[in-house]
Amino acid sequence: MAVVEDTREQFIRQDGKDKVTGLGRYTADLARTGMLQARFRYSDHAHARVLRIDTSAAKALPGVFAVLTQDDVPDVRYGGFVEDRTLFAKDVVRFEGEVVAAVAALTQEIADRAVELIEVEYEPLPAIADPEQALAPGAPLIHEGWAGYGGNEDVVREGNDCSHSSIRKGDVDAALASADEVVKERYVADMSHAVPIEPRAIVAEWQGDKVTVWTSTQVPFIARSGVATTLQMPEADVRVVVPHLGGGFGGKCEFHFEAHVAALARAARRPVRLVFTRREEFVAPDHRREGQVLELETGVMKDGTIVARRARLVLDNGAYAADAPFFPQLAAMMAVGPYRVPHVSVDAHLAYTNTTPSGSVRAPTAPQSCWGLELHMDAVAERIGLDPVEFRRRNIVHPGDETATKQVLETIAAAESLERAVEMIGYGRELPPDEAIGVACGWWPTFALPSGAHVKLHGDGSGTIVTGAQECGTGSVMALPLLAAEVLGMRPQQFTVVYQDTDAGPWDAGASGSQTTTNNGRAVVEAAIDVRNQLLELAEEVLEAARADLELVDGRVRVKGSPSTGVDITELAEKAAGDKLLLGRGSGSPPASPDCDISGCTGRLGSESFLAPTFMTHAVRCKVDRATGVVRVLEVAAAHDSGRVLNPVGANGQVEGGVAMGIGMALSEGSQLSDDGRQLNPYLLDYKLQTAADVPEIRVEWVGEPDPTAGPNGAKAVAEPPCVPTPGAVGNAIAKVAGRVRCLPMTPMRVWEAMQR
Amino acid sequence: MRYDAVLNVNGTDFPVEIEPHRSLLSVVRTELGMPGSKEGCDDSECGACMMLLDGRPVNSCSYLALQADGRKIVTVEGLADGGELHPLQRQFLAQGGVQCGFCTPGMLISAKALLDQNPAPSEDEIRIALSGNLCRCTGYQGIVRAVQAAAAEIA
Repeated sequence: MAVVEDTREQFIRQDGKDKVTGLGRYTADLARTGMLQARFRYSDHAHARVLRIDTSAAKALPGVFAVLTQDDVPDVRYGGFVEDRTLFAKDVVRFEGEVVAAVAALTQEIADRAVELIEVEYEPLPAIADPEQALAPGAPLIHEGWAGYGGNEDVVREGNDCSHSSIRKGDVDAALASADEVVKERYVADMSHAVPIEPRAIVAEWQGDKVTVWTSTQVPFIARSGVATTLQMPEADVRVVVPHLGGGFGGKCEFHFEAHVAALARAARRPVRLVFTRREEFVAPDHRREGQVLELETGVMKDGTIVARRARLVLDNGAYAADAPFFPQLAAMMAVGPYRVPHVSVDAHLAYTNTTPSGSVRAPTAPQSCWGLELHMDAVAERIGLDPVEFRRRNIVHPGDETATKQVLETIAAAESLERAVEMIGYGRELPPDEAIGVACGWWPTFALPSGAHVKLHGDGSGTIVTGAQECGTGSVMALPLLAAEVLGMRPQQFTVVYQDTDAGPWDAGASGSQTTTNNGRAVVEAAIDVRNQLLELAEEVLEAARADLELVDGRVRVKGSPSTGVDITELAEKAAGDKLLLGRGSGSPPASPDCDISGCTGRLGSESFLAPTFMTHAVRCKVDRATGVVRVLEVAAAHDSGRVLNPVGANGQVEGGVAMGIGMALSEGSQLSDDGRQLNPYLLDYKLQTAADVPEIRVEWVGEPDPTAGPNGAKAVAEPPCVPTPGAVGNAIAKVAGRVRCLPMTPMRVWEAMQR
Repeated sequence: MRYDAVLNVNGTDFPVEIEPHRSLLSVVRTELGMPGSKEGCDDSECGACMMLLDGRPVNSCSYLALQADGRKIVTVEGLADGGELHPLQRQFLAQGGVQCGFCTPGMLISAKALLDQNPAPSEDEIRIALSGNLCRCTGYQGIVRAVQAAAAEIA
């Protein structure tokens, strides 16, 4: 492996020293005077009516300070898309991890004992684990009152179908009828999980009417509004602080349990801490990756031109909507892929089931949809006798091409990513009979969202960036000083960052949707430009030169063409400290979504066109043990178009980590479910992540050009795209040795079964 | 019932009274006030709680604190020499081996145990030595690079 040269000026992340010395604090490390420990009582059934809850024995246990149920909190239904949830179970429990009651006690042992003393009487109801069964006519309703729920009116829903989206373009029936070949297949992906290594933790403490919540969330401002909504208090009275966050990968997006802990702390009149076990981390949050059933049908001409795609996708929503209702539209876009397809008809449904709710996990819907589509692409290529890379080459999108929703693509390098990845891995070379190279292409949007930041320069010329953005480990917040420094002609090491405290920074959507650099980066650049203008104003006076003739370079404002005539920024900062302070603010409107045409389509939830889309191709070499079905990934080549790359060490780290997650999804990561929707493997012993010994060397290259419609100086999304094409590439390699495995993850048993066919 | 014990952590003796069921991890994190070692699973699967016990790496979540009575324990807090970072710590930062940082304490301990035993490990030996430590962020690439670079620096 190539070791990065250790140079003095290398940009080291600011939180790094805290993290390598063990002195940095994560939420579970925090303690407050008088702090109590919390535990939840979960549902005993996957689906049941709650007839009676008796908390008297728990309340009587010495050391118990508070026991809460839905009767003890405001009667509020919440949900970003569909208001289908209450903090605690109300009348009905719909999955095994639903919170029925919560306890705060002096010690964890007492809290654990107290939740067992809560008596709950149920009337069991039929539970549905299979999303296709949930959509079948006559299936029992998981939410009997679905029609009365409020929420986003753009969500098209009915009964157990929590969200339906479709894409219609051209005339699919006629195009399929005229195609030389039509290939129709079915793929099934199991549900999987984000699995941050830090299980979530929350500490809440009240001061008068104001509550501070320290929490391991990716989205502090969304957590804040969740607390404010459910406990019916002003957002200004809720302060959410995130200590170091031990990973999220989407699993810690959305509002989860902050209000439960705040309510316990208010009732107990003491600070309360909740720390999840690993099992709770699998079962209770409404954010696991959804299972999918993909029925794909493609019409193709003998020369390899795709003429039509029809598809039906069923996504497994779980018991509550969380942020999943935008998934069907995104999955529908993924089922078309980064290819020219003139006639399209895709329907995607999000089905309520009695399982742990799904929600955004790193590139939600994409790795599974891309896996199904890319295996299908190889199957289509096989039918017409064309090499799968050549087949992709003939259909992949180029600048000027139109998507399924008639968006015209502009600054894209999809074809370059394909060519680069196959070149990197040496596609076509001789390999032993138990090895093969698989290739998959994917795409993913950049999300435009509002965001804000302040930049302050102090009297000594050092600077502080105050941002609402959230650092989940990716380094995107840690890289913000690079942007401010670039604008101000300073060094990134001269800036510190104040972040993840909702009382300090302006609103931000959090560490979600690969959005931090794009949106908060834009805000930081704008705030830095504000400060630059203030510096230039001061320098005009000092240097007696017009602003247009000045530039900021190497810590100085100097006259263009006469570098020796200038003034140090520290000197200007000192001057400002005694007069008008150097304070910059940045926000601004997010870029508009690209034009598209979705007439005839159902459900408009923000993914109908892709702003500054990213493209990526992964080529992997795999070895299949024919006796056992065990697959090893030996080599990965990843070629990505993310526009301008700001911080190569950080960006490469995102690809390396995303690929490892993708290999896990491909080979080992999937929940097994009982017939009534309980997870059978909610532990790391049975839900296997990739280890250092499993993951091969991953080579990363960047292709493409800065995209003017994207973030700072043309940067597109980086963090989510890397896990998108990996499972498909692994699947296509396996297929060449063992036959196509149509279930994800492609476990040894499933690979072995494929070999027997 | 509590028992008297002396835990020697990072060179300092800590006299403590411990209930027999308590894990080494929970006592070091709470009673001793050193929460650098993390709990990721309480199941010996993730390795975030790794400590050195008489020089050998153990999952402290699954080790009784009383079993460590009178023995030498090293945690992530004990790796730096005063203000000077250990080469492993410095290289984890330089090579992109740290993202969220939650696995880092355990990774550093496993890596130190390896280099103490085998100062010039091959890439495969590094990967095998770290296979008891799960990382979800880096894909292990930056971590393996860091151990290679630190080994070269120490040699």
